[in-house]
Amino acid sequence: MTTSAAEEYKTSATGFSALSALTAVDHKTIGMRWIVTAFTFFVMAGLLALTMVTQLSRSGQDLLSAEVYNQFFTMHGVTMMFYFAVPIMLGLGLYFVPLMIGAREVAFPRLNAFAYWVYLFAGVALWISLLLGRAPDAGWFSYTPLAGPTYSPGVNVDLYALSVSFLEASNLSAAVILIVTILKMRAPGMAINRMPVFVWSLLIISFMIIFAMPPLMLGTIMMALDRIVGTHFFRAAGGGTSFLWQHLFWFFGHPEVYIVAIPAFGMVSTIIPTFSSRRLVGYLPVVLSHVLIGIISFGLWVHHMFAGELSVLAMTFFAAASMSIAIPSGTQVFAWISTIWMGARPRFRTAYLWAVGFIPLFVIGGITGIMVAAPPFDWQVHDSHFVTGHFHYVLIGGVVFPVMGILYYWFPKMTGRLLDETLGRWSFWLTFGGFNVAFFTLHYTGLRGMPRRVHTYMSGQGWSTPMTITWLGALTLGAGFALTLLNVVKSIRRGEPAGANPWQAGTLEWSVSSPPPAHGFDTIPTVTSRTPLWYERITEAGRRGPYRLPEDDRVTIGTSILDGEPEQWLLVAGPSIAPLLLAIGGTVAFYGALISLWLVPVGGLMAFGAIVLWNWPGRNREREQSS
Amino acid sequence: MSVETQERKLTAAGLPANLNDRRAPLWWGMLGLITVEAVLFTSLIASYFYLRFYAAEWPPGGISKPHLLLPAIGAAILITSSFPMAWADASIKRGNTRNLMVGLALSFVLGVAFLTLKFVEYSGYDYNWATNVYGSITWTIVGFHSAHVIAVLLKVAVVFAAAARGYFSAERNLGVRINGLYWHFVVVAWIPLFFTLYLSHYVF
Repeated sequence: MTTSAAEEYKTSATGFSALSALTAVDHKTIGMRWIVTAFTFFVMAGLLALTMVTQLSRSGQDLLSAEVYNQFFTMHGVTMMFYFAVPIMLGLGLYFVPLMIGAREVAFPRLNAFAYWVYLFAGVALWISLLLGRAPDAGWFSYTPLAGPTYSPGVNVDLYALSVSFLEASNLSAAVILIVTILKMRAPGMAINRMPVFVWSLLIISFMIIFAMPPLMLGTIMMALDRIVGTHFFRAAGGGTSFLWQHLFWFFGHPEVYIVAIPAFGMVSTIIPTFSSRRLVGYLPVVLSHVLIGIISFGLWVHHMFAGELSVLAMTFFAAASMSIAIPSGTQVFAWISTIWMGARPRFRTAYLWAVGFIPLFVIGGITGIMVAAPPFDWQVHDSHFVTGHFHYVLIGGVVFPVMGILYYWFPKMTGRLLDETLGRWSFWLTFGGFNVAFFTLHYTGLRGMPRRVHTYMSGQGWSTPMTITWLGALTLGAGFALTLLNVVKSIRRGEPAGANPWQAGTLEWSVSSPPPAHGFDTIPTVTSRTPLWYERITEAGRRGPYRLPEDDRVTIGTSILDGEPEQWLLVAGPSIAPLLLAIGGTVAFYGALISLWLVPVGGLMAFGAIVLWNWPGRNREREQSS
Repeated sequence: MSVETQERKLTAAGLPANLNDRRAPLWWGMLGLITVEAVLFTSLIASYFYLRFYAAEWPPGGISKPHLLLPAIGAAILITSSFPMAWADASIKRGNTRNLMVGLALSFVLGVAFLTLKFVEYSGYDYNWATNVYGSITWTIVGFHSAHVIAVLLKVAVVFAAAARGYFSAERNLGVRINGLYWHFVVVAWIPLFFTLYLSHYVF
């Protein structure tokens, strides 16, 4: 590599040529790609949902055939869970964690680029299948034997199994990057008990990803093997069992809910103190709640299987474990309420509205969660609209609302411009109202016996009127989100200039200009509190400290894990085409299996070549030291 | 600005650049990868026993229990291969590139021997992954582990090539140590897998 470090920063952050776009590794560039891609999937999956609810708005409609409806609800679930919810958290983390902890880069920038490409390719492959009418159609948890080769002979479920397996490689890479970045690259003085809560939440979910996603990856690989080379893991005729799939899936699937919920909690813990002008009440209990939720979430996957064959003892255990998670969740709710209560008069900006609106929705979703955690109640409502209503309260109310809040909160930092407040308020209230109308009603239709995943129903069952109400609510909800999209499009060019710290927030990302300069921090700050901008008055102009770095060096500082004692300078890897080549090799190996099994080793060899190119020691020592 | 100038300037601020030991981010990154893989192998073992205790007889369908001799020799060879790797690691810490290369080569040969024995063993079985679920899980576990052995052999070959060009030294050897760490993981992972696939038939 002959480019100097200065050129590397330029090519990775500001210049736009085809090559620099393909070799970019800067965490802000890549993080922005994660965020934009995730929101794109969110919009597409949301449009599928609007089509489905239109189909169900009255009895006996034929807007969608049963086959297409199956593909739509499967793609809606798969996209929202795997391609929106997790990636948006990881993307925001990869963008903002270095800025919040005072580092110039993530630990492994090239791995970050690789993870993004894999995410993109796995998503594009899946969505092409929908355009071709061959999308997965066995639901997002794709139960066998329905999803086995006998009952789903087409390519549809193959694409599910391969895409999910491949995508996990991306999530696992991002998790390792975040863990090492957070543990080893915090600013001097940022002991682990001074980390922002959002950073804590990402640290915890990264560990959860590492323990939850490999079993899923194994499960989806087994599913692909069953379907493509004739193994018998989930096929009763050869001695296998569908329960193995259910265990592998839900051992991942339940932590998954918290993998997306914990960062959402972290976002609320970020927004509420800023607009209450007060540090978070109960930092320690809130962080411990995150840790506790992370641990308990691995002990309750079987509650998704209450309708299967289980002993009473197992059901009792998993019911109790499921209910116990309400304790750490409730602790946080009280911390947020106390922060609002004890803070200054809150500033009701749009970001704050989303964060506060989240609280009642999350509480409702939590309470219906405790209801379905009781096996007898679960049997009654299992696979009905009640469950659909419950988890949309958790996932839209509990996850999407904080994400929208953080979008309004961090958009000025990412683009340098404020989002429009009037449009923001309209967007919030339409979404809040529409959401409750649509999804509260689903609990009712569920209790009236309406099953989920039916493409139509007969009249005279008392479902038509509530489903029409749900439809109207959903349209309002959609309009609310559309206003935010409009707001983003409008404000990105013509929004009011934001300045470095428009909300007078206390954490380090607000000490750099908006948008952040390509190199991040001029001086790696030294911190002595949890909100350095409030307590130490670190400002753009007045930052002092021994760790002033030249602007053009891809270098940051490495510190000790617990106390944040400075240990070393870290030279960080620069742009490279190898991550893209590796992702292409992986794509050939995974999806090639559908065409010919010989493409698997071919893709493997391409991947090997890319790894050698990636790591081969060049003239520049940076390339050896960090990938 | 050359890398050397960069480093002098930074070191002048009172901190060393890019430590080579366990404080290096790359060391932690490799531990992350190893944890992911360990969870994957644990899931495989859990799946094996789940299927075993679900089945009425094990191995099912008249397949006989595996013989122990050949697999035991293979396991012994694989475990032995960790020693030259550790020696190679220690050698380069003292700056001895020749011993580094000898150690890498010895480990490489032992790794290939292990794979050859696995190939001989599995080509002797009259069932495969499509026969029944026993075939599916055993072939998958062995396939997964063998893929790891192949990957780490390729990795050793690359490290060897870099060593032959005189790239590593007493100060610059993180690549060797990370590679060694992964090698030891692939070896150690085989111990519970060996128990699962072979010994467990005779234990319970």
